[in-house]
Amino acid sequence: MTPELFDGPEPAPSAGWHAPVTVLASYAAGDLGNTYVWSIEAHLSDCALCRGQLSVHTDNERLARNRSVVLAMAAIPGARWPRRLARRLGLPDHVLVLLSATSSLRRSWLLSVVAVLGVVTGESLLVHALWPHHAGIAAYSEPAVLAPLLLVGPLLVLVGVAAAFVPSLDPGYRLAVAAPFSSLTLLLVRAVSALTAALIPLACAAVVVPGPRWLPAALLLPSLALCAFALAAATVVGPTAAVVTSGAMWALPVAWLTVTQSPLESVEAHGQSLCAVVAVAAVAVVFARRDRLEMRWAS
Amino acid sequence: MGELIVNGSTSARDEAAVRVGGLSRRYGEIRALDAVDLTLDRGITGLLGPNGAGKTTLLSILATVNEPDAGDIKIFGLNPKIHAERVQIRRQLGFLPQELGYHRHFTVAGFLDYVAILKEIVDRRRRAEEVARVLATVGMEGFGRRRIRTLSGGFRQRLAIAQSLLGSPELLVLDEPTAGLDTEQRLRFRELLSNLPGDPVIVLSTHQADDIAAICPRVVVVLDGRIAFAGTPTALADTAAGHVWTATQRDERAHMSWRDGDNQWRHIGDLPPTGSVTATPTVEDGYLLLSHAGGKR
Repeated sequence: MTPELFDGPEPAPSAGWHAPVTVLASYAAGDLGNTYVWSIEAHLSDCALCRGQLSVHTDNERLARNRSVVLAMAAIPGARWPRRLARRLGLPDHVLVLLSATSSLRRSWLLSVVAVLGVVTGESLLVHALWPHHAGIAAYSEPAVLAPLLLVGPLLVLVGVAAAFVPSLDPGYRLAVAAPFSSLTLLLVRAVSALTAALIPLACAAVVVPGPRWLPAALLLPSLALCAFALAAATVVGPTAAVVTSGAMWALPVAWLTVTQSPLESVEAHGQSLCAVVAVAAVAVVFARRDRLEMRWAS
Repeated sequence: MGELIVNGSTSARDEAAVRVGGLSRRYGEIRALDAVDLTLDRGITGLLGPNGAGKTTLLSILATVNEPDAGDIKIFGLNPKIHAERVQIRRQLGFLPQELGYHRHFTVAGFLDYVAILKEIVDRRRRAEEVARVLATVGMEGFGRRRIRTLSGGFRQRLAIAQSLLGSPELLVLDEPTAGLDTEQRLRFRELLSNLPGDPVIVLSTHQADDIAAICPRVVVVLDGRIAFAGTPTALADTAAGHVWTATQRDERAHMSWRDGDNQWRHIGDLPPTGSVTATPTVEDGYLLLSHAGGKR
């Protein structure tokens, strides 16, 4: 609407000009374009008479409704810095809200992961520091000190991802299942975020421990393979059984290699090849059986 | 078992919003639903039944949260077994599970905002409008910033109802929505359901026969995974006609008896107690008589 502004005879001014009643009515109804809105608002801030006239045209019900919406917008969380940062990085607001309901992305969870990795790393460093003095063996050549990190690290990542999709760890999963938003998308968004969030402290721990320089990179593929396998297995068995099976598939070989040979073999060439095959096969199964994954998640 | 049509006319059957045929579901050795046939129309249908009768299983299947082992379902003509149609159903669905789960850190508005996104309301302004609308509907306007864990049971239940109303669904599946509500809140809930715009299909389960009598034009009694009755609350009450008496003394032959507010013994059974007066049966009487008969089977 592009009305003629400030040229009407009403309301009868005592001095100067005033906004016509029709314009005030359009303003109150929200029908004015932005330019006119700014002009009117500049005028209203100085003119008590027009403000008085405006009140006649306001729809109290609409005002109350708008007030409720404004209050609701203010009550909806979203101003904290991690969310602002993520928004600046281009993540859509609604995805951030969905991630806020992921247990393994909560501060308490991440602190627990850091604490466990801290203990494991500290233990490795301590053994590394003490071992050469007593045994005269270089810690670097004794990869057994890495066994706790190699065992626990990928399992921590797996548990974080499990918390993103195992129903018993998601109190609101029934609502999520009954909603039209794709359960698979929700599950994958959460799983990838939880995977990323857990891999960062794991990579940091791998840098600190007395191991080969390639160790941080070498932990990525096994972690990914475990999580992908758990998701794929969840299309066949229940999510909890899938996660336990996946965890056992990692823990048992690492424990066996630690006892018989070297735990590092689990992340060396043969181990990486095996993990790559498992990861690719698991992703294919997840894609092929995505409908089953969704329904299994529900049941 | 023959098909029980809640709203019995043939035309209503053809246009039924929800049709269920031969629905069965087992959990291991437990038979939760056994060849259930049911047709539901627009309006409110109440599900009555004891704990473990299969109400929650039936509702979770209607809400597409659970899969049946056998049987067919059509909701607004859509088949939930087909992925695309299941999503279409969910776009028209409001679901209140028996136990509403929520993350401990959620505020009231934050939780509703989350559920609104799950219901594909992505635009921030629209979400806020919906959150404001449903909060006003359940009388919780000033509660947006409150953490859910600080709310009383009654307010949590109101919040649970509020989330089911997001997006103005055409099908509302409410599992024990009045659990935890006090008398006034239950009355408000009845008023709320009765005044919902658009005449949606509402299926609610409850243990409160008076809720059924007050707001449900149709009632379905579920016993042992089967539908024992489907019809109007009046018809359910009528099933107990000639089986309800009041007397000053308790009669051991009665299936059930209890002392009422007038200090009289109310008896439900097959034989009238000595010196008794025939009483007008209620929905609860009809339900209790059916439950007793079901228990004997």
